[in-house]
Amino acid sequence: MAAIPFLAVALGWLLAPRVLAYPRYLLPPAGDVWARFLQMLADGSLAHHTGGSLLRLAAGFVAGNALAIPLGIAIAMHRGVAEMLRPVLTFLQSIAGIAWIPLAIVWFGIGNGAVVFVIANIVFFSVIYNTVMGVQTIPLVLRRAVLASGGRGVRILTELLLPGALVQIILGLRTSVALGWRALVAAEMLAGASGLGYVTIESVQWYKTDVVLLGMIVIGLLWLLMDRLLFVPLERATVVRWGMLQR
Amino acid sequence: MAAPPGPVPDTLPLRPAPGGPVARRRTERGRLVKSAAGLGLILVLWQASVPLVGLSDYFYPSPATVARAFGELITKGILPVYVSDSLLRYLGSVVVGGVLGLLLGLAVGLHRGLARLLAPFVNFLYAIVEGAWVPLFVVWWGYGIKVIVVLLVYIIFFPMFHNTMVGVRTVPQVYVNAVRALGARPWQVVAEVILPAALPNIITGFRVGAGFAFRGLIFAEMLAAKTGVGYLIYEGVSMQNTARTIVGMICMGVMWLFIDNLYLKPFERATIERWGVVVVPEDGH
Repeated sequence: MAAIPFLAVALGWLLAPRVLAYPRYLLPPAGDVWARFLQMLADGSLAHHTGGSLLRLAAGFVAGNALAIPLGIAIAMHRGVAEMLRPVLTFLQSIAGIAWIPLAIVWFGIGNGAVVFVIANIVFFSVIYNTVMGVQTIPLVLRRAVLASGGRGVRILTELLLPGALVQIILGLRTSVALGWRALVAAEMLAGASGLGYVTIESVQWYKTDVVLLGMIVIGLLWLLMDRLLFVPLERATVVRWGMLQR
Repeated sequence: MAAPPGPVPDTLPLRPAPGGPVARRRTERGRLVKSAAGLGLILVLWQASVPLVGLSDYFYPSPATVARAFGELITKGILPVYVSDSLLRYLGSVVVGGVLGLLLGLAVGLHRGLARLLAPFVNFLYAIVEGAWVPLFVVWWGYGIKVIVVLLVYIIFFPMFHNTMVGVRTVPQVYVNAVRALGARPWQVVAEVILPAALPNIITGFRVGAGFAFRGLIFAEMLAAKTGVGYLIYEGVSMQNTARTIVGMICMGVMWLFIDNLYLKPFERATIERWGVVVVPEDGH
């Protein structure tokens, strides 16, 4: 029963050229898109663009986290500094990512550098914000427990702050990758030289709508795969099991 | 640690604020001072780093240059027009998309068959990142306002739809039965039980959607508009005036601060927090 809307759309798509008259570029028939899919598969361009996009996402994600997690923990350890910087971090987080695309073009030119920077940017600001907030909302009880068992300084870091931050990071993982994915597609459209986003917007000027549609479907499928195969099981194995997230 | 009366503070402090309302007001003021200090620190660091970085204004404008660009944009009347254009597009689309999402979510939530029919399809569409629809829209309608509005309506529709549906579905059956036992008609059940009970989810959905839609606005304006804050951010770079780009970015942040703090959060506070249904974290994720 769930398949009915899909079938309805597919049917509409197949029948539309026979029933209505409109230029081919507005809605290419399914056959065209399928043929384009096979062609791009065969000449390796599909693998090239998809692989490139995923690599850029991974690079930006790793870079953003590598900078944000240590910095976030360092900031959160000093309550005064954390309080001072919280509004600035909130502000920066609200403009993170896409708004930096033109600036990234100035600094890195069109291409991989700009795209990876934008992804790292949005991941960085969202993770640092979450890390600082996460450490600040560690229940007081736990802090007192560590202090009561004689922990000071480094012990507080390793037994209270790091695990607390880790939980926040896992909770925020799905969100930060989701944001990174959106930033990837947007950045590739405006500042990329290859990749799914780039290919999709570039085909617009040649009216190659079959490539546009193919790109959209691949982008949607990739996210579905990442979400269902990666994040939901990961969350289930960690934070759901630890009772921190109801699903 | 007892929950403090009044509005929930931004963070639960590691150490509870001592004393009563007067002391609390003092810590609020202290927090404001600290925030201003933090902002001032960033500005000072920025200005100081300019000679150290040693690049031209094109690559690394100083706060002074940005302030000058800001003044220029105001006196030439460009900025107010851009900001109001952006806000108009945003508000109009968000209202339309929100209402559509609410109505459809309600319908699907109330009717099991409809849910089974439409939910998987809508979820698949949701998986296609908003940005990915832009090229198709441009093919259909060319560059321009229509693309922006449709995109924003699309962006806010899905979280609203999803959250409304979930909210409606998770209303405890007890409430519905209780009201029905008192003789309520179907529309009364919906208006007086289901909608209020689903309200926390609906409002969260709206807040999430509003956030995504704001980013979507900026992106769409960069790509397909001739006015607006997003366009300003892009235009600054293309006319070699990076300071204008930064003005645009700051404007974007301030606008979101406004929208979130003046409308979204108070609305949330006035409804679901007051009714004690849920306490929401302030980050709005």
